[in-house]
Parts: sequence; structure tokens; C-alpha cells
Amino acid sequence: MHAAKFFCWHFMAYPYLPDDFDDKYESAWVTVPNSLWDSEKSADLYQEYIDQLVYGEELGFDGLVLNEHHQNVYGLMASPNLIAAALSQRTERAKIVVLGSLLPLRKNPLRIAEEYAMIDMMTQGRLIAGFVVGGGSEAFNYNITSVKARSQFWEGCDLITRAWTDDGPFEHEGEHYPLRYVNIWPKPRQQPHPEVWIPGSLSIETMEECAKRGYNYFLSSRVHGSATKAAVSRFAQIVEDHGGAYHPYRMGVLLSVYVAESDEQAREEASEGVWYFLRNCLKGHLRREGRTQTFGPGIPSQSKRSWENYLNNSEPGRDLLGDAKDWDTLDAGGSIIAGSPETVRRRLMELIELAGVGNFLIQFHFGNMKPELARKSMHLFATEVMPTLRQQSAELFARDFPNLDEQLGESA
Amino acid sequence: MSGRAIEVDGNQVWIIEEGNGGPVIYLHGFADVPGLAGDVPPLQMELAKDFQIIAPAHPACSKSDEREDLDNMEDLVFHYLDVFEALDLDTFHLVGSCLGGWVAAEIASRYPERIRSLSLIGATGLFVKGHPVADIFWVAQPEDGLYYNDLRNILFSSKDSEIGNELFPDGRGELDRELLRYGMFRFASRFGFSPPYLHNRKLRSRLRRYKGPALVIWGENDHLVPREHATAYSDELNNAPIEIISESGHSVQVEAVADAAALILKFLSKN
Repeated sequence: MHAAKFFCWHFMAYPYLPDDFDDKYESAWVTVPNSLWDSEKSADLYQEYIDQLVYGEELGFDGLVLNEHHQNVYGLMASPNLIAAALSQRTERAKIVVLGSLLPLRKNPLRIAEEYAMIDMMTQGRLIAGFVVGGGSEAFNYNITSVKARSQFWEGCDLITRAWTDDGPFEHEGEHYPLRYVNIWPKPRQQPHPEVWIPGSLSIETMEECAKRGYNYFLSSRVHGSATKAAVSRFAQIVEDHGGAYHPYRMGVLLSVYVAESDEQAREEASEGVWYFLRNCLKGHLRREGRTQTFGPGIPSQSKRSWENYLNNSEPGRDLLGDAKDWDTLDAGGSIIAGSPETVRRRLMELIELAGVGNFLIQFHFGNMKPELARKSMHLFATEVMPTLRQQSAELFARDFPNLDEQLGESA
Repeated sequence: MSGRAIEVDGNQVWIIEEGNGGPVIYLHGFADVPGLAGDVPPLQMELAKDFQIIAPAHPACSKSDEREDLDNMEDLVFHYLDVFEALDLDTFHLVGSCLGGWVAAEIASRYPERIRSLSLIGATGLFVKGHPVADIFWVAQPEDGLYYNDLRNILFSSKDSEIGNELFPDGRGELDRELLRYGMFRFASRFGFSPPYLHNRKLRSRLRRYKGPALVIWGENDHLVPREHATAYSDELNNAPIEIISESGHSVQVEAVADAAALILKFLSKN
């Protein structure tokens, strides 16, 4: 039986912004003054966040998810590989998902091939290797020309996987990263190489490139159930067009969850952290108010055709996730779910049934949420939500994907 | 006359042409883009009274194809060598504004013998320590998802500039206008985002290879390219005269058409 997998996602947000942050600053990214950083208050911050992830393993989560962000308050992992190394010494079973390293920021992606191989060796083969192209904030932070980033990115992916699988030394005749001697030491523990996950936000090009290479697709857009379903259908079709067969572990989705004893209590306890996350952390990213750096004409990574498509299918100045004003709006969005175990179980099972996705990457800690609340929510999820979801999803997958054993055997 | 497409190395290049006389190549900046897709813009119309004005749209701009195979300024100069060949142009006057001024300066430093005169309007391209070109890419990201006040302020005399509001309005404009602006940002990003930003550190020392006549025109209130860049261009171009256009911002070519046209026509006529 193959059940849905649940991963514990952490952003490692900066929790000590002043109360008037939203009024005074246009963004929590790139230009947010680091005079707001308090080294004294933050002395134990990384330790606390690492402990929360270790607790995730104790609770039985399938994996722990790290991510890379720079010069911002939303996520303090400038180097997720450092945290992965720390987790390698504190965990024994859970997958370590680095989702992912921003390839265009590296002058030479070989360094990622090496670091990931090290992490995979240090964890006895528990790495899931995420590669990320990056968006506007990376363009501004690291001076990445967005019109060229995608071509750099896919070359980087191919260079890394080839460095893991082909015997060296070999010459890489790349456009962006020509290298005479590719010959990494160590090679990864997993053979032929760790699973690769690529985040995307619905673009067909990214899905196609993933399908070509047998990579898994991780939907990073925070969309509601029917849009997730549409994305799964699109990716499944593209996988088939490339001669493969879709199964639930080819895709993952990002969700945020807070579980408490009752729906009312969940909202009450989560409020401080959730609204801090939405108002502050998402400012400059998924908020209309302020100035977004993630996406737009100043960082024109999309082709003119894709941009035209975007213009034709979007309302100017529409509210984004971070502009939500109340819980009902959040509930309707389906990306942030707060409720009793029963409510969360029901909502997630609906999504699993609707979309047929097998990897759930769940953010439990929001913004400035008190650590004990995040832990309580994780505990309730692991004890009162996850077991039922695993059982029900296993039955569902056995019914809807009768060849899953075979498919997983092939891809392993 | 007006607009037509020519083919260069398998790619379409859109050009606006008007007038008879000595050929003048005009290389455009941000503010010209909407104009170059339609009728001959006012400045070009003025220059066409005495000259043959030829304004090609950069790759990805107006109806010119985007070229994924161009990575840097060197590639872009080769693109323009092909354009000049396709137009059967040997020598010509060169006028450039904003990024177009940068391209013009790069061409003049490489092929000085082909350039009869060089006019630069608010040209980017130079590195002047302590006086960076402002970050147009940052301000092209709208405030509150809707407002382009900072972008207009950088490109024009102020955020309230009338022509600025016409060319870069708040909210969502007509689709074709939006795509014209987007194409210009694709172009600018490809050649000017990195190395940082909109300049070539080596251009300054190469400029002295051009020894012909030069004119430097700058808006009094240029908020994109600091006045120090005008001085630097003048210094490297044999003390070329600097003409400051009062009350204009960066985009002199659309903000002060009559003044710009008079200065350029007088200059071209002498050379």
C-alpha cells in the first residue's frame, strides 16, 4: 500500500519585526532594512527552528523541507544546505528535502552537485534534491538577468545530474557553464541519483522540462483545490506525452496548516502568526500592497507570449494571498487551513481525492508564531490527522493507480 | 514612408523611416517604444525635414523579433552591423537616447570612421563612480499592483508628467501598449541588467577612439542618468558641448521635442 506522504516545511521567518512594519516598509524583501535584525533576540532562533524540524521526524513526518531565500524576513535560510547538514546530525529516518537550491545564483552549479552529494552521503541517502530557478528577488539580490535565468537553470540541472551519474572526468560543453573537467567527489549515496524536485507555478514550459527529465513537479503557487486539480491534469498529460505515466508521487503541493482542538481555537491560536506571515512576510511577494519583487515587468523572465497570456487572464491590482482580510477569505483560498483535526482531515482528504497528489509539503510555523503553538499543531496533525489520511489515501491510490507498485519499482 | 520590416540574419527588424537627405540613424530608449510602433513620432518628423531619419526598433521592441541568441552589447553591435548592411548604409549620423545612446556610443567607439556625427540624449552606458544609473527595473514593479509613479519619475520630469502618464499610465493599459513596454524591458534586461546596471565599465576608455563631432543633450531633471554622466561623455568625446534642456526629465526626445529637434538639426547641419 502506498499512502500520501507528509512533509514538514519550514521557512524560518524572522519573527521580531516592529508592529508598524507594514505601515512603514514597501517590502519584506531585498530592501527591507537589516537594521531591523536583532542579533540578541535572535540568538536561539536557528536552534529553535532546527529543533522544530527534528521534532517533525520524531512525530513521524515523511520528510523535512528546507528552502533558500536571500535578503528578506520571509525565510532566513540563505543556505539551506547548511541546515541540511545540521539535520543530518540530528535525524535518522526522514527525507531531507532541499527545495531548493537557486541554481542561477551559483557561478558554477557543480558546487551544488558536490554539496548535495555530501548531504546524501551524510544522511545515508535521504536527500531529495530540489533545484530552483528563482524569481525577481533573486534577480535584484544577486544580479541575475531574468531573461537568461531559465536557460542557465536547465543547463545547471543537466550538468548536476550528469555529474552524479556519468563517470568522470568528462568535459561539459555548456553554453553557460563550460567545464573541462567534471569529476565530482563524492558521488551521491542514492543510485543513480537522488530524486529531483522542481518547483513551478503552472507554466507549461517547466512541466515539460520536468517530464523530459523524469523530475517531479512541485506546485509552489498557492492555489485552491480545483486549480491544483487542473495543474495535476496538465502535468499528468504532459508526462504521458513524454512517454511516462503519472502517479501521485510525481507531484507535490505546498499548504499551510494549523491544527488545534477546535476550529475556533485554531483560528484564535494561529491568528497572530498567520497575520504576521500574511501582512509582513508576504509583503513584496504575494501581496498587492507595497511593491512586489517576485513577478512583473521589471524582471521580465516570461516570454512576450507568456506575458500576453498573463495579461489576458489576470485582473490588474487583484488581491493576492497576503491581502486577505479575514479567515473566511483564507478558507475559501484553500492554501491556509486552520481548524480542528476533523476539519483539517476533511479538507486535505478532499484535496487528495480531487487532485491525486501524493506529496504534501506543509508549513506549520507562521511568521512570529510561538514555537510551542507550532509544535502543538504539528503534534495534533501527526497524531490525529496524518494516520487517517495515510490510510484513506492508500486505499484511494490503490484504487485509482492500480499499477503504482510497478511504477514505483521502475522509478526506484 | 513610415514603418516597414526588414530581415536581418533571419530576424525581423522594424524600422521607421521618413524624409530625404543625409541618413540619420536614431536608436531609441524607453519612452520611444510606443511611438515607434505607429506613425513617425514628432521628434523624428522634425528631423525628417532636412534628413533621412531611420529608426530601427531594438530586438524585442515594437515589431522587431526578440533574439535569444544575443547575450551582450558585443552581440548587439553585430546585430546593428547587419542592420546597417541591410539598409545599405556606409556612413551616417547617429543619434541615440537612453539605452539607444549607450548602443550608439558603443558603435561609435568601434567604427568611428562610419559615424558622421554622434548625438547622445540622456545616454546610459558609462560607469561614473558614486553616480549610478537609477534602478529602472525596480521601479517598473508597480506599487500596490497598480501604480507607476516611481517609474514615471525616473523616465520623465516628474510622476505627474503629462506625456509620462500617456506613455506609462497606471493600472493596465491597452494590451498592445503593455506588450510594447514589456518588450522594451525584455530588451533592457537582456543587455542592461547585468553587468550592473545599464553600463559597460570599458566603454569610457574606448570612447576616445571616436574623434568626430559629438553633442550631449541632457534633461535638466534626468532622474535616471545623473548629470555627471553627461560630463563624463563630454570629457571623453573631446569636450563635446553639453546642452541642458530646462524642465525636461530623462526623456528629452518626447518631453521637449522642439528644443531637442532644433539642437540636433543645427548640429547635424554643421556636420
